[in-house]
Amino acid sequence: MSIEIDTRPIWVILLLKALRPAFYLAVVLIFWGLIAMPTPEGLSIEGQRAIAIFAVCLILWVSNIVPLAITSIFAIVLVPVLGVLPKKETYALFGNEAVFFILGAFILAGAVMHSGISNRLALNIMKRFGGSPRTLLISVFLLSAFLSFFMSEHAVAAMLFPIVLEIAKGLGLKPGKSNYGKLLFFALAWGCVIGGVATFLGGARVPLAVGMLKETTGDTIGFLDYSVAVFPLVVILLAAGYLILTRFFPIDIEGVGSARAVLERRIKGLGKLSVIEYATGTVLVFTIIGWITLGEGFGLATVALTSVVVLFVFKLVKWKDIEEYVNWGIILMYGGAIVLGAALDKSGAAAWLVKSSVGNWAGSPWMAFALFSFLSILLTAAMSNAAVIAVLLPVSLGLASKLSMDPAVLTYAIAVPAGLDFMFPMGTPAIAIAASSNYINVKESAKGGFIMFITAWVVFNLVAAWWWPLIGMGYSR
Amino acid sequence: MKKKTYLHNPATLKIDLMLRGTRIDDPVVKAWACGSAGVDIMLPEKTLVNIPCREEFTRNSPYLIKKKGSGYLITDGASDVEVSLVEKPSFYNRRTTTGVPFSNIASVHGSYTVITPSPRCDFFNRSVECKYCAGNFDVTGREGVVYSVEEVLEAVEAVLKEKASGIIYFSIGFSDNDDGGLGFLKPYILAVKKSFNCLVAVEALPPKKNHWIDETYALGADSILYNLEIFDRELFEIICPGRATLIGQKRYFEALEHAAKVFPNGTVASHLIVGLEPPGSTCMGVDYLSGIGVVPILPIYRPSANRALRIEPLDTEIILPVYKHLYKSIKKNKINVNWVRDISMVTTPVELKSIVSGEKQKSIVDGFYNSRLGKKTAWGLATLRRKLRVIDRDDDSE
Repeated sequence: MSIEIDTRPIWVILLLKALRPAFYLAVVLIFWGLIAMPTPEGLSIEGQRAIAIFAVCLILWVSNIVPLAITSIFAIVLVPVLGVLPKKETYALFGNEAVFFILGAFILAGAVMHSGISNRLALNIMKRFGGSPRTLLISVFLLSAFLSFFMSEHAVAAMLFPIVLEIAKGLGLKPGKSNYGKLLFFALAWGCVIGGVATFLGGARVPLAVGMLKETTGDTIGFLDYSVAVFPLVVILLAAGYLILTRFFPIDIEGVGSARAVLERRIKGLGKLSVIEYATGTVLVFTIIGWITLGEGFGLATVALTSVVVLFVFKLVKWKDIEEYVNWGIILMYGGAIVLGAALDKSGAAAWLVKSSVGNWAGSPWMAFALFSFLSILLTAAMSNAAVIAVLLPVSLGLASKLSMDPAVLTYAIAVPAGLDFMFPMGTPAIAIAASSNYINVKESAKGGFIMFITAWVVFNLVAAWWWPLIGMGYSR
Repeated sequence: MKKKTYLHNPATLKIDLMLRGTRIDDPVVKAWACGSAGVDIMLPEKTLVNIPCREEFTRNSPYLIKKKGSGYLITDGASDVEVSLVEKPSFYNRRTTTGVPFSNIASVHGSYTVITPSPRCDFFNRSVECKYCAGNFDVTGREGVVYSVEEVLEAVEAVLKEKASGIIYFSIGFSDNDDGGLGFLKPYILAVKKSFNCLVAVEALPPKKNHWIDETYALGADSILYNLEIFDRELFEIICPGRATLIGQKRYFEALEHAAKVFPNGTVASHLIVGLEPPGSTCMGVDYLSGIGVVPILPIYRPSANRALRIEPLDTEIILPVYKHLYKSIKKNKINVNWVRDISMVTTPVELKSIVSGEKQKSIVDGFYNSRLGKKTAWGLATLRRKLRVIDRDDDSE
C-alpha cells in the first residue's frame, strides 16, 4: 500500500473534506439550474438536458473528483433517464468500434510486453546505438518514440523506466543534480509523448476521437492516413525536443561504459529469444499490416480482435497475464464519452452550443482549427487527454458543418494536440513516471515543457497548413 | 535525622515502592505475587503500582504488605496506608482453543494489556542485547513459540470481555528488517482492529525509513513506542550495544520526531530508564523528547543479582526531582498526558501532578477518560482522526 499521512492541522483537513460535499451540492445545483431554466430559443428540450449532462460531466472530468470512468457511467445513466436518447440506442453506442479497437490494442500491447520482446528490443537498440553519451541519449529518445508508435505511450514509459533508472544509477548520476540524468528522463518522457501521437496505437485517444467522429458524422480516418498526416509533426518535434533538451541541460559526462555493462547484464538475463517472443512479434507485425491494408474494409477493431483471437488460439498468452494490462476504466470512459457526444449531436445541442459560443470567434476554418488545437493542447496540460477529447470534440464537430469544414480535420485538431503534454505530470503518465525518478522535478518539466508546448502548437498548425494540402487534405470539404 | 515517609502522597509512594520494593509476610499476597514480575497494588487515589517483591534488593525494603481485617495495608514501620490488592484477571486461568494459557499470551498492566506474539530478539542472537535486559516482556534470543493471530485474537477477546484493560499493547524484539518489526506485527494489528473496538499501542524498534511509521499508524496503531532507554550517548553505546550499532541513537530521534508528527499528541512515547544514567542526563533526555513532542516514560531500573548496573546511590530523594522535571517539561511543551495513564509499571505524568502542584490526581476529566463513554469516545476520535489523516495513494481516482 502506498500511504501518506496528512499532517496539516485537523481543522484544515476537516474544512477540505467539507469542500467535497459542498462541491457535489454545487454540481447538483448547476445541473438543476440548467434543467429548470427556460429553454433558450433554437434549442430543443432534449438539447437543453444534453447540455446539462455535458456541463456536469465537464465539471467532473476537469476536477477529476471522481474517476473519469465513473463520470462516463454517470453520463450513460443520465442520457436515457432524461430522455435525451432512448435507452436501447444509448447502450448500443457503447458497442462502438472504437471501444473494441481500444480493447484489442490493450490486449495486443499486453501480450507484447508480457512476452518480453519489447524489453529485448529496447535493450538491444540501446546497446547497439548507445556508444557515447550523445548516442545513448538519442537512443533512449528515439526508442521511446518508436515503441510508442506501436504501444500505449504510458506502457512504454513504464517499461523503459527501470532500464533508464538502472543506467542512470550505473553511471553514478546524482538525482536532481546531474544534467545527463535529467536528459535521460526527459528523453524518455518526451519521446513517449511525441511517439504517442504518431499512430492510432500510441494512446487510446485517437481511436476515441475517430469513434466519436464516426458516430456523429459517419466519416472516419484510416490508420495509415492518420500516420501520414502527422508524420512531419513527429519528426520536427523529435528534432526540436532534442535541441531544446540539450540546450537546457548540456551533456555533463564523458563516457557511458558503465551503462553498457548494465545493458549487457540485462540482455544476458533475458536468455535467448523464445518462441513466444518470435510468435508474438510476428502477430504484431501482421496486425499492423492488417490495419494498414484491411482497416478500412473490415474495420480496425476487427483486425485487432482477430489478432487477439490468434494470440489465444496459439496459447501465446493467458487471460490472467493480460488482465493487468487492460485498463477497463479507460474503456468505460471512452464508451461514456461516445454516448455523450452522440447525445449532444442528435439533440442539436452541439450545434446550438457552437452557434452561441465559439462560433462567434471562429469565423474561418483556419481560425477554428487554430482555436480548437490551442484549447486542446492547453487543456491537456491539466486534464486527462481523453477528457479533453470528450469535452471539445462534440462542440467542434458541431462547428464543422457551420463553417463547411471537413469534420475529420477538426478531429485531428483536437485528437493530436490532446496527446502533446510536455509540461505537467497530471496531464500524462509518461511525465509523471519520469518525474518519479527524482532526476527531474515539476519546475524543470514546466520550464522546458512550455517551450515544447508553444513549438508543438505552432508546428502542428504549420503542418496542417502546408503538408496536409500536399496529401489531399484541407480544412474544407 | 528523622526518617522521611512517603506514605501520604500516592505518587511519591509509588516511586519509592518501585525503587525499594516490598516485603510480604501475608501468605495470600505471597501466593498472589508468585510467578509475576511484581505484585500489583492499588494505592490511594486509585494509583496503580507494580511493586518488586522477588528481587534481592527488596529484602532490605522498609515496606511491608500486611493484612488488616479484610483488607491490606502497607507500612514503612512508622506509619501505614490502606491499599488493596489488584485481582488477577480471571482469564489468566483459562486457555485458548489450542490449549495455550491466556496468561502466556496476554499480561495486564493496568490500562494496558501487553502481548508479545514472538519472543525472538536478535540482539540476543548477536550477543548485543541490552545489558539490563533479561527478557523484557518475555523477549529473548530463542525462536520460541510464536502465537498465531487466532490465539492472540482469543486472548484479546478475553481481555476485553472481562474489561481487564482497554488498550492492547503489542511489543516485539529486534529483527534485522527495514520495517522495525512492523511486517511481523501487521496481521495481529489488522486482526485486532478488524474484530474489536479497542485502542492499540505498538512497542517496536525504529524502522529504517519513515514510511514504515506512517504505515504503522495507517494500519491501526493508536500509539507508538520506540524506547531509547538511555539518553547519554556513551552509556547508551555501552549498555545498549545492539541498539547503538544496529540502529543508532540518531535514528531513534529521527523516528520519534517523525512519529510525533504522524500520531496524535501524547501517543508517541519513549522509555528512559531511571537509574542507568545520572539524573541530570535523564532530565536532558526528558527535555529533548518532550521538545519533539514525545512523552518520556521513566521506568525505574530493577536490578537483579546478575544485572547490577545501577548508578548508586539511588533513592527517591535523588530521583523525585527528575519526575518533577518530567511533569514540568511535558506541561511546557503542551503534550497531552491522558494517553499514558493508569499503568502499574511506571509513574505516569497524570500521577505526577500531585507531586508538583499538590493537587489531587484524579479530576472529573480523569473520571471521564476512565469511564466507558470516555473510552468509546477516545476510540471514536482516534478512528476518525486516522480516517481523516491517512491518504491511500493506491485509491486515487485514476
